[in-house]
Amino acid sequence: MQQRVLWSAVMVAALVLAGCGSAARPASPSGGPQQEQRKLVVWDWKSGEAATATYVEKVKADFAGRHPGVTVEFVAQPFDQYYTLLGTAAQSRKGPDVMLFNGGGQIRDRVDSLLPLEQHVAQDRSRLAGWDAFTKDGKIYAAPVTLQGHPIYYNKTLYEKAGLDPANPPRTWDEFVRACSAVKKATGAACLALGNKEGFGIQFFMSGLGSGILTPQEYDDWIAGKRDWSSPHVRRIFELWKEAGDKGLNSDGANSTAMFTDVFRVFESGKAAHIIGLMSDVGHWKDFGEFLPPDKLGVMRAPVVTGGATPSLPYDGGIGYAVARWTKDPELAADLVHSLTSADALAAFSSAAGAISSDTTIDVSRAGPAVAAIVPEIRTGRPALHVALSAKTLDLMGRLSQQLLSGSATVDKAVEQLAAADRAG
Amino acid sequence: MVRPAGSGRADGAGTKQGGGGGPATRTASRGARAERLAPYVLVAPAVLILVTLRLWPLVLGVNYSFTGDGADNGTPVGLGNYLELAGDPLFRTALRNVGLLVLLLPVAVAIPGLLATFIYLRVPGHRVYRGVYFFPAVLSPVIVGAIVNLMLGFDGPVNAALGTVGVGPVDWLGDPGIAMFTVTGVHVWATFGMALVVFLAGFSTLDASLLDAARVDGASLGQVVRHVIIPGLTRTIQFVFVTTLIGMLTSMFGLLFVMTSGGPEGSTYLPEYYIWHQQGQLNRPALASAASTVLFVVMLVVGLAQITLLRRAGRQD
Repeated sequence: MQQRVLWSAVMVAALVLAGCGSAARPASPSGGPQQEQRKLVVWDWKSGEAATATYVEKVKADFAGRHPGVTVEFVAQPFDQYYTLLGTAAQSRKGPDVMLFNGGGQIRDRVDSLLPLEQHVAQDRSRLAGWDAFTKDGKIYAAPVTLQGHPIYYNKTLYEKAGLDPANPPRTWDEFVRACSAVKKATGAACLALGNKEGFGIQFFMSGLGSGILTPQEYDDWIAGKRDWSSPHVRRIFELWKEAGDKGLNSDGANSTAMFTDVFRVFESGKAAHIIGLMSDVGHWKDFGEFLPPDKLGVMRAPVVTGGATPSLPYDGGIGYAVARWTKDPELAADLVHSLTSADALAAFSSAAGAISSDTTIDVSRAGPAVAAIVPEIRTGRPALHVALSAKTLDLMGRLSQQLLSGSATVDKAVEQLAAADRAG
Repeated sequence: MVRPAGSGRADGAGTKQGGGGGPATRTASRGARAERLAPYVLVAPAVLILVTLRLWPLVLGVNYSFTGDGADNGTPVGLGNYLELAGDPLFRTALRNVGLLVLLLPVAVAIPGLLATFIYLRVPGHRVYRGVYFFPAVLSPVIVGAIVNLMLGFDGPVNAALGTVGVGPVDWLGDPGIAMFTVTGVHVWATFGMALVVFLAGFSTLDASLLDAARVDGASLGQVVRHVIIPGLTRTIQFVFVTTLIGMLTSMFGLLFVMTSGGPEGSTYLPEYYIWHQQGQLNRPALASAASTVLFVVMLVVGLAQITLLRRAGRQD
């Protein structure tokens, strides 16, 4: 018995001292003998959907035009498990040559396994928008396909019923709250459809309303990484979040309503007048159009909360294609990325799948009034506030936001913890 | 683990050969060597599989848990990950929830036990109940979770029904004080069918004449359960305890994933979910390795405690 204890102790000590190897495979320089590659594998979570069939077709045609004899295989992975699968592929250094990424933290945390693309995408730089979300330390790792952002949508039918002018949505927070109480009185609908089960509600709230709360200088500093958590305006974001909950502006049961996709149904069914939604993929103009006629769906700018703030559309690169470091022929893979973001393909993607494309030169005049209201805002839009935060800080913010709503945490405590998490990186 | 048994037998064979003495031919000694090696050869496949597929990854995982993540990938950080775990309120909640599950275990065993008793005692309609009770056990946790999510939504049918009798809506999955009990309750509901079947099998070994004798002596239902059924089913109850606990600790991931995603406020985290979250979502494989090691130790302690309890109970029989 004693011997066994001794052995375990020695074993543990050895392992502690050794601590060798690594949980993730260390990056090694790529290169080596270049073989001719006949097949490129693309991983994504989109190509399985019927709506992207035309897009995939156009991409393949465009690529085959320049590289006949090279086949492109699209492998659709389930989104729930996508990054777990990608992590496993990266560890074994075998996997797709080109892969789809969400912008922001998801790609920045994984640049170790990606190839910098600056030289390869130079020709597309001015045509496409949203590069920042795929850039880390000045290097570009993916080319954007869609733009993702957080416009505030409102239900014009509810506005009409409440005697408000649907063409003239509120411009300040006070007007916004007044409009909400008018809607509540006339129709019983809540002000904001809020789903915070996964902790995403606060991210949408922060980014959707942030440009009306922070001054332009504070906003730029925040994006640039100089985040002043002690600023009263940053604090105001969380106060407003708590206030909205306390005053009953949110739809019922926010902490148990899933953002994807229960809360979108709350808005569509007219149970709430506003929603901070998305521009691409889900929860957007096309999605809502299923129940709300296009002419009854409005898009408004963030209401001004603090004087001096200039509301703008918060958006970033949504999804984009990156090239794996382990691909055998980086030139070929990068050229496929070029095909994946060609104007023709993107036009097909945005109209069928319902997305604001990264290529702002595409004609959107037939996509309806909501899109017509969003696209002109892209020029003056700025990156969304929450995208600048690390995955870990966002995770913490999700839990704290639930505590703020349930009253088990104070704004001071939440801001303090977030500041600490943000500083830790 | 293998050595004592194998070497013991080989030694025994050796002494017998030596004791025979006399003209020890070459074939005999070769036979002795073959006999000595045979056990090792025979257990080798099993040992190899265990070592390469179980022990080696385990050692690697433990080893990784002492290295860093991200920029520190591959560099030793000593106990850094474990200190981070100890300081992470989320991981502490996960461990606390394991404790909660252990505390709720008697309830999870009592429910199928009682229902099986009623079926055994042939309450009216017992045949129907037997089928109905088992039915949820064939559903996957994902389906159960999705159905229950709809039922327990804040504006869902359960709250609507409660509203008609004047009870305010309950935020089943949104209130951190309630959510863990909701998920555990659903897990018990979804899995007690298996335990029920085991109990029914146990009942079939029960001596019916004892029950009749108790009835003739005028024992009430409570007395029959307490003095005849429970003592007769000790072994079955122990078995159900062990399997139910293992089920609770290892197979609630699906339900958690679908029903709460660890929320609200991180109140429904279990170590398994924490490990998945750190590895898959936050890209912290080394920290996840450390959490896995802690979970392994917890399971080891729980398993050893159960074996000890079972042995002690077995001796009493």
